[in-house]
Amino acid sequence: MSSMFSTLTTFAADAPAPAESGGVVSLVLAQLPTVITIGAALGAVLGAVSYLIYVERKLAAFMQDRVGPNRVGPWGLLQPIADGAKFILKEDVIPEYVDKVLFVLAPCIAAMTTMLAFAVVPFGPVDGAPSFMRFIIAPNVDIGMVFIFAIGSLAVYGIILGGWASNNKYSALGSLRASAQVISYEIPLGMSVLGIALLGGTLNIEQILLNQAKGGITQWYVWTQPLACLIFFTAALAESNRLPFDLVECEQELVGGFHTEYSSMKFALFFLAEYTHVITISFLTAILFFGGWHFPGIAEPGSTGLLATGLKFGVLLSKVFAVILVIMLIRWTIPRFRFDQLMGLAWKVLIPLSTANVVAVMTVLQFGWSKWWLTAVSLLLFVVAGAIGVKQAHDALNRSGRRPHAKPETSGGHVAHAH
Amino acid sequence: MNWIQHNWALLLPLVLGACGVWLMMPGARSIRPLGGLACLGALVLGFQLVAGSRDVSGSMFLVFASATLISAVLMITSRNPVYAALWFAVVTLGVCGLFLLQSAPFLAAATIIVYAGAIIVTFLFVIMLAQQAGTSSYDTSSRQPFCASVTAFTLLGLLLITFQSAAAQQTVDGARATEVAAANKALDVQMKVETLDIHKSSRPLPSEELGQMRGLGRSLFTDYLFAVEIGGTLLLIASIGAIALAPRRAQGTL
Repeated sequence: MSSMFSTLTTFAADAPAPAESGGVVSLVLAQLPTVITIGAALGAVLGAVSYLIYVERKLAAFMQDRVGPNRVGPWGLLQPIADGAKFILKEDVIPEYVDKVLFVLAPCIAAMTTMLAFAVVPFGPVDGAPSFMRFIIAPNVDIGMVFIFAIGSLAVYGIILGGWASNNKYSALGSLRASAQVISYEIPLGMSVLGIALLGGTLNIEQILLNQAKGGITQWYVWTQPLACLIFFTAALAESNRLPFDLVECEQELVGGFHTEYSSMKFALFFLAEYTHVITISFLTAILFFGGWHFPGIAEPGSTGLLATGLKFGVLLSKVFAVILVIMLIRWTIPRFRFDQLMGLAWKVLIPLSTANVVAVMTVLQFGWSKWWLTAVSLLLFVVAGAIGVKQAHDALNRSGRRPHAKPETSGGHVAHAH
Repeated sequence: MNWIQHNWALLLPLVLGACGVWLMMPGARSIRPLGGLACLGALVLGFQLVAGSRDVSGSMFLVFASATLISAVLMITSRNPVYAALWFAVVTLGVCGLFLLQSAPFLAAATIIVYAGAIIVTFLFVIMLAQQAGTSSYDTSSRQPFCASVTAFTLLGLLLITFQSAAAQQTVDGARATEVAAANKALDVQMKVETLDIHKSSRPLPSEELGQMRGLGRSLFTDYLFAVEIGGTLLLIASIGAIALAPRRAQGTL
C-alpha cells in the first residue's frame, strides 16, 4: 500500500536520506549557523530599536528647541532601558468582552511578520566575508523582493485583528483606516522596484546589490531610477505608518487607532513591529537604490578579508542610519496628510507614476537605448506630475474664491487643500 | 466484501475522518472533542499510507500537510466566521509551504500575496462589517452536516482510489510499458518532437536551477502567452466593470 502512494512523495527522493542516528545530529549542526545568525540579527534589531527611539526623541527635541530625555544615565543614555523595563513591569490589562485569543495574537502577528521580512535582507557583505560571518539569514533566495512583499501583505492581519478583537468602535474604525492605507500603498511599493528588477534581470536582493557594486557609483540605481526611489521611499513610509502618513495612530487629532486598548508589553510589540519595519525599509532603500555596502575607494566588490568585510559592514550601516535619520527628520518637517489626500496620493499619483516608470524601463530595454534616458524620463514624469498637481490646486483655489459657500471639494485634489 | 478487506487501510481513515468532521460541525449534536480525536486519528492513519521518508523534506511535508488538513477541518467546523477566515489563511500558508517543497517559490509567494494578503483580508472586512451584533443562528448550527461530510469524504475517497489504482497500474505495467513504448516508437517519434518543440521554452536551461523566476517568466511569455493575455484581459474587463458599477460621488454614496 505504501508504495502505491509513492507518487505523492516523489519529491522526497530529491534529498538523499541521511543515516538514522548520525543524520539528525549532522542536520542540526548544519542549521547551527542559521540559528546563530537569527539570534544575532534579532538581538541587534531589538537593541537598535530601543536606541532608535532614543535617537528619535533627541532629534525631535533638537528640532523643536527642547532638551529631550536627559535624566536617566549620562545624556539620558539609559532611558531606553528604563522604558523597556517599564513596559515589562506594567500591568498587562486585557479588557473584558474582548476576543482574548485574537487580542493576544494580533501583536504577535504584527511583530512576527516584520521580523520575518528581515530574513532575506542582507545586512552586510554576503560574498567574500569570512565563513563564520554570515550577513543574511536566508541566503540566495531567488524571489527575495517578492518574499518581502508577500510577508508584508500578511502584516495587515495584525492591524485588522487588533482592531476587531478589542471590541471597541474606535479601534475598529482605526483598523479600517489603517488597513486601507497599508493595502493601498502595497501596490506602488511593489511597482516601484519592478523597474530595478527589469534592469538587473533578477529579484534576488543580493544580486541587485552586486550588480550596483560591480558597476561603480554611476550604476547605483538611484541615478537611473530616481523617481522609483522616491515612490519606494514614500510608499514604504506609508506602509510603516510613519509621519506624514501616520493616520493609523494620529495621536493629536483622533482617538488612537487599532491599538487603543493595548497596554504594556502587547503595545510594545506593535511599537517594535513599527520600528523593525522602519529598519527593514531603510536597509532596502540603501541596498536597492544606493549600492548597499558599496562605496568607491572604501568598499569595492573585489576585496575580501576581515578588514574589508568590516568596512563594507560599516558603509552599509552608515547608509542605513542616514536613511533612518531622514525618516526621523521628515517626521517633524512635513505635516500630516488628510485621509482623502493619503488615498489620492496612492491611487492618483504614485500608481500612475510607477506604471509610467515601468513602461519607460521596458521601452528602453526593448530598443536597447542608453540607460541614462531613464533619468530624463523620471525627471520629466516628476515635472509633469508636479505641474498637474499645481494646476489642480490652482483651479480648486479659484473655484472656492469665486463661490465662498460652495460645497467642499469632492474631486479629492491631492496636492493642496483649498481652504 | 473482498474489496473492503483489500482496501481497509484506505477506507478506515476516510470513515473516521467523515465521522470526526460530522461530529465537529456546529450544531446541537456536535461533540467537538470526540470529533477532533476522530479527525486526528484519521490524520495519523492517513499518514501511515504515505511512504515515511525521514529526511528533511519528508518531515517538512508532514508538517505542512498536517497543518493544512487540521486548519481546513477547523475552518469548516468553526462557529465564528472570523476564526473560519483565519483558519482559511492558515490553510493557504500550509499549501504555500507544499508549493515551496515542490520548487515553486514564486507560486507560493504569489499565492500568499493574492489569497492570504488580499482575498481573505477582504473576507475579514466583510465579516466584521456585517457582524456587528455577534454571531447569528446560521453560524451556530450547520445546515446538512451529515450529507455534507458523507459527500465530501466519498469524493475524497474516489479521488484517492483513482490515484492509487493509477499508481498501481504504473508499477505493475512498468515492464510492459517499456515494451509498448519500444513498439510504438515509430508512431511516437513525430508526436514527441512536436511536444518538444511546443514546450521547449518552458524547460529550464542547463545552467538554471528548477523553479527560478527567469524560467517561469520565459515559460509564461512564450508557451503560455495566449493564456496570460486572456487572463490579463479578463482582469482588465473585471476592473472596468467594477469601476462602472460603483456609483459616483455626486449620486450620494462613497
